Amino acid sequence: MADAPIRKVCVIGAGVMGAGIAAQVANAGVPALLLDVVRDPDHRNAVAEGAVAKMLKTEPAPFMSEQAARLVEVGNIEDHLDRAADCDWIIEAVSERLDVKRSLYARLDVMRRPGVAISSNTSTIPLHQLIEGRSDAFAADFLITHFFNPPRHMRLLEVVVGPKTRADIAAKVEAFADRMLGKTVVRAKDSPGFIANRIGTYWLQLGINAALDLGLTVEEADAIAGRPMGVPKTGIFGLIDLVGLDLMPHIQASLQSTLPPTDAFHQTVRKIPLIERMIAGGYTGRKGKGGFYRLDSSRQREAIDLVSGDYRPLIPAAGPSGPAAKGDIAALIRSPDRAGQYAWAVLGPVLAYAAALVPEAADDIVAIDDAMKLGYNWAYGPFELIDKIGAAPLVARLEQQGLAVAPLLMLAGQRSFYRVEDGRRQYLGLDGGYHDVVRPDGVLRLEDVKRATQPLLKTGSAALWDIGDGVVCLEFTGKMNALDGEVMALIGKAIPLIQQSYKALVLYNDGPNFSAGANLGLALFAINIAAWSEIGKLVAEGQAAYKALKYAPFPVVGAPSGMALGGACEILLHADAIQAHAESYIGLVECGVGLIPGWGGCGETIDRWVKSGRLPKGPMPAAAKVFEIVSTATVSRSAAHARELMILRDGDAITMNRDRLLLDAKAKALSLVDGYQPPQAPQFHLPGDSGHTALAMAADSFHKRGLATDYDLVVAGALAQVLTGGAADLVDPVSEADMLALERDAFAARVRDPRTIARIEHMLETGKPLRN
Amino acid sequence: MQVYDAPLRDMRFVLHELHQDDGFGGLAHFRDFTPDLLDAVLEEAARFTREVLLPLNASGDAEGCRIENGMVYTPRGFQQAYDRFRAGGWCALANDPAFGGQGLPETVNKLVEEMICAANVAFSLYPGLTHGATTAIEGHASDELKQAYLPKLVEGVWSATMCLTEAQCGTDLGLLRTRATPQADGSYQINGSKIFISAGEHDLTENIVHLVLARLPDAPAGVKGISLFLAPKYLPDPAGAPGARNGVSCANIEHKMGMTAAATCQLNFDDTTGWLVGQPNKGMAAMFTMMNAERVSVGVQGLGIAEAAYQGAVAYAKDRLQGRSLAGAKRPDLPADPIIVHPDVRRMLMTIRAYNEGCRALGGWVARAMDAEKFADDPEVKAHAADFVALMTPVVKALFTDLGFEATNLGVQVYGGHGYIRDHGMEQYVRDARITMIYEGTNGIQGLDLVGRKLGAHTGRYLRSFFHPVSAFLEAGQDDARLGPMVADLKKAFGALQLATGTVAQRGLGDPEEAGAAGTDYLRLIGLVAMGYCFVKSARIATERLAQGADDAAFYKAKIDTAAFFCDRILPQASACFLAIKAGKRSMMALDEAAF
Repeated sequence: MADAPIRKVCVIGAGVMGAGIAAQVANAGVPALLLDVVRDPDHRNAVAEGAVAKMLKTEPAPFMSEQAARLVEVGNIEDHLDRAADCDWIIEAVSERLDVKRSLYARLDVMRRPGVAISSNTSTIPLHQLIEGRSDAFAADFLITHFFNPPRHMRLLEVVVGPKTRADIAAKVEAFADRMLGKTVVRAKDSPGFIANRIGTYWLQLGINAALDLGLTVEEADAIAGRPMGVPKTGIFGLIDLVGLDLMPHIQASLQSTLPPTDAFHQTVRKIPLIERMIAGGYTGRKGKGGFYRLDSSRQREAIDLVSGDYRPLIPAAGPSGPAAKGDIAALIRSPDRAGQYAWAVLGPVLAYAAALVPEAADDIVAIDDAMKLGYNWAYGPFELIDKIGAAPLVARLEQQGLAVAPLLMLAGQRSFYRVEDGRRQYLGLDGGYHDVVRPDGVLRLEDVKRATQPLLKTGSAALWDIGDGVVCLEFTGKMNALDGEVMALIGKAIPLIQQSYKALVLYNDGPNFSAGANLGLALFAINIAAWSEIGKLVAEGQAAYKALKYAPFPVVGAPSGMALGGACEILLHADAIQAHAESYIGLVECGVGLIPGWGGCGETIDRWVKSGRLPKGPMPAAAKVFEIVSTATVSRSAAHARELMILRDGDAITMNRDRLLLDAKAKALSLVDGYQPPQAPQFHLPGDSGHTALAMAADSFHKRGLATDYDLVVAGALAQVLTGGAADLVDPVSEADMLALERDAFAARVRDPRTIARIEHMLETGKPLRN
Repeated sequence: MQVYDAPLRDMRFVLHELHQDDGFGGLAHFRDFTPDLLDAVLEEAARFTREVLLPLNASGDAEGCRIENGMVYTPRGFQQAYDRFRAGGWCALANDPAFGGQGLPETVNKLVEEMICAANVAFSLYPGLTHGATTAIEGHASDELKQAYLPKLVEGVWSATMCLTEAQCGTDLGLLRTRATPQADGSYQINGSKIFISAGEHDLTENIVHLVLARLPDAPAGVKGISLFLAPKYLPDPAGAPGARNGVSCANIEHKMGMTAAATCQLNFDDTTGWLVGQPNKGMAAMFTMMNAERVSVGVQGLGIAEAAYQGAVAYAKDRLQGRSLAGAKRPDLPADPIIVHPDVRRMLMTIRAYNEGCRALGGWVARAMDAEKFADDPEVKAHAADFVALMTPVVKALFTDLGFEATNLGVQVYGGHGYIRDHGMEQYVRDARITMIYEGTNGIQGLDLVGRKLGAHTGRYLRSFFHPVSAFLEAGQDDARLGPMVADLKKAFGALQLATGTVAQRGLGDPEEAGAAGTDYLRLIGLVAMGYCFVKSARIATERLAQGADDAAFYKAKIDTAAFFCDRILPQASACFLAIKAGKRSMMALDEAAF
């Protein structure tokens, strides 16, 4: 049984977590059965049905595609628990009450098939308590799989196994969670709160206490315990708003009741009347009437005054200054000002606390760091933070303040917790020695390659790496991985090198985003100094580089994750295949800044739709379809959605686990090597003037309904001109070179328009599009 | 004998003809000021400066100021001249009518400033600083302070100073030590010592209002802990007249290279009563309102002195007989030809002339933007004008004073030995002009401001206000055969400027020292292109006027000739600036400090 693959998953409990987990199972293409209680005898499945319906309206969307939503089957635990028996994994995600969970397990114990994994999504209850009274056979199939909210996007999965849990059952669940659900599995011990929430709850409590003690505003606190520490900008109070103020007392009470009395956690717990009043008044955070922050009736941001408890307009806080503002954490906690005092009051104890949790909560420091990075989105885990400060100075300061110093910190002494040896990253073990950080099978990170080797080629904005087996990886290295002339220059140099000495190319980088596209800042600067010929040159160079990739005598595979916008989308469109991370947001967004795709995106997109077989015959449907997508700057909401947009074609594939993307892309590239033939240049049959008129009319109707601005209409007109082949005669095919020339001309005209310049400027200054 | 007659024809050209299409014009705010009215103001200013101020320039320089028992006495005639100046309404030409000003456009005010500085730059400092101070008070002070001080300042019966510098702090105001202690009545007690305070003490007005930078007791260190205070020499009595003497005194006046008629004072503040202007610790912002306005005015000082030097040099070159023209005697009736026949003398005269006309044209453009920044109805025009003023303020300050100083030296050179002796007044211009390159932020600092604060700000947005008009002009004019090679010359220089801008932006991002090393050359480069643009545009307008059969053909022809000279002989320096910028900091910073 344990060898059988997981073909169907049952999730019991259709709350935010359970429903979200079911959605993620469905996102992987695996059917999910979602069960909850019966509340309404006439609509017995209403709870689970309602949960699915709600998810279809939730932002960010739990489902990656409409097809995924159809894979979730709903039911209730009174009528349909037997169907759970048909599933290969049953995930319990009911309320955090031991009695409720135990009674459910008792029912499952009767009807389950032995060897079917059963796991609980509990965040607080220890495993040994959950399985009390259950048979050994049940215990052998049982484990804890603790997901983080939202389950689609948070990559951490804490797994806890009991002494009786069968290794193969755990391995099967972990493999599925890893490959299909895209999670990074961190093994936690059966200790209260596991890893991330134990540290995180302690950290949040420290953050509240210190803000009150030092008299900081919530804005000031979050401006310190946020970005400067490598923590999301929500910091302390913004995060509590996000998770819900009312959840905090629950987790706290649970930890208080389960942690040993000696645990440092107890000393931080305080009654905070303001928070109690807020919860009682329904001010539970973003899901309630507001939290520490809220929007007032005119949608202006407000923050609560921690002393008076009244809301007042937001007072943006400057945060730390000097090197501390630029990520120098040692300088931050050293600085004698209030920012430094607050930073230390939060960070000092939490790092000391984390150091005390090995081996109590996790076997090694890597698990702790991974948990905080993936579960709380910290840029650095606690031990990576300690390395930035130095274990010895940290110990000295902790001792000076009479705070407990964990043995692990003493063990480190003058050493760091991580080091690089022979190009391999190593961590300090409890035995006092260093051990390699081992990646799971099938995981290849470019950072590992980069640690161990030198780039084959490098320019100011890109680098080329040998990732083994004859495959090379082109990485963007500029700010935000922006694309510029230096990237194009590297492509130019890479092609002959690969042709001569390698088999295939992968376009990939480790960053959270593939690339936000062309370097707009550079473009705006060039615009501002009226360097029109330089801009024209950059457009032409980009076109040439991308076409050279397309027709290169070796396969090219694009491997995006996160955003791949504008010029970054266009480079993918020129690849032979795409291996996309499931969380890929791809699109031609140029119209949003008053431009049109200028690096071959227009022609490539038309060609994809013409060859898709999804459209009626004739020159108009493809032009109209692309016009609809590009003029509205549509970005895919997932890789699955990118497939609907024809950015991914048949044969292109999706990787659920971010860490597996590079190796999957490499495998894809190698699969294309044998008998590789570059594609044939397309001939376009485009609708010309009459088509242009039709598209202009469509845009006009949008404009009349107030959905498009005056300038949207101008930009759409320019796009339509290109997509319909300019003044093409219906009879004459338009060559690829003609399309590129049309793109260049349209781009050059738009880029000089003050309204385009205003859009670009606004985008760069505010990060938001300007609707002028 | 110094000579000066305001170049009214060229001023009218700049005011009414040159910049009409720059998008800053047609301000409804100024609709009552007809061109005829503005011309009349300029003519009256020309008369006043020629008749009243010019005669005191050399005598004031020879006599200088003196200090006796803490009282400073200006040279003979200055008091009477100042009284006439004030009575004529010249103190408050561009001030807000709400406080008694005349509300004239800055475009006219800057031309009048040029005349005053040409005729007597030392005199200009007394009313000039008052003008800057009113800007800061208007912009930042409480209504109470405005009501109490602005009418008197605008009328000119009181004058003002800017008290920034201390012995240990010049360019780096972060080192400032003067302290201000809050008093129970909301005022402050100021204690400290200031140096180099222009017009800090004198006998021209019944009261002197000091704007003083000082630190509050709890102020943060550095420039973020500086506040601005207003402290008068005499505290106003309930009727608003000068009352009790305040605790500020003049300890000494400086002995200077030039501008001897302008008192440069060392002031001691001893428990001086003052009031906060603007927000605590935001004194730099308030002061910069004043400083930016002053920087443009200092540029105009450079231009004014250079114009006086030009007129003196031309008079001499037409009069002085030495040698014969290399092309054969031009005046056989005389013992020798006037030296103006000699190419190298021509070179000097044309250079000064081109500098002056170029600066005047550029200054006129910036002044229009200053007006539009304040008074345009369209917020986009306002913002665009503000960008242009921000970009060009350091250029006007440093370029006009660098070129002005060079011009005064050329003026001496035209005179030969007679320029070096005092009798002709030419060496005074050199001495007077020298300080303009130093005060209100040295010209090196202007270069830093340009490359550090202006060039990269908002991804180069300030640059757009200049680069786009030039680019559009070049594209529109490239087929204009009437202008000969001028358009191509400008295009080449503009190309060098574009490349240099990209180079500075890119290198400066990674290494601020690279930007610092480029500042002076970059400022000169953009200045040359800006003047070149103004000249080619002037030449195009002049060509059109000539084709239309304009009356004053001589003026337009001279304009075209001067533009051609600038494009031929001066604009090519743009290429040299670019090469210097391209070379970067390496050789500048290579020499070991010990080797100096």
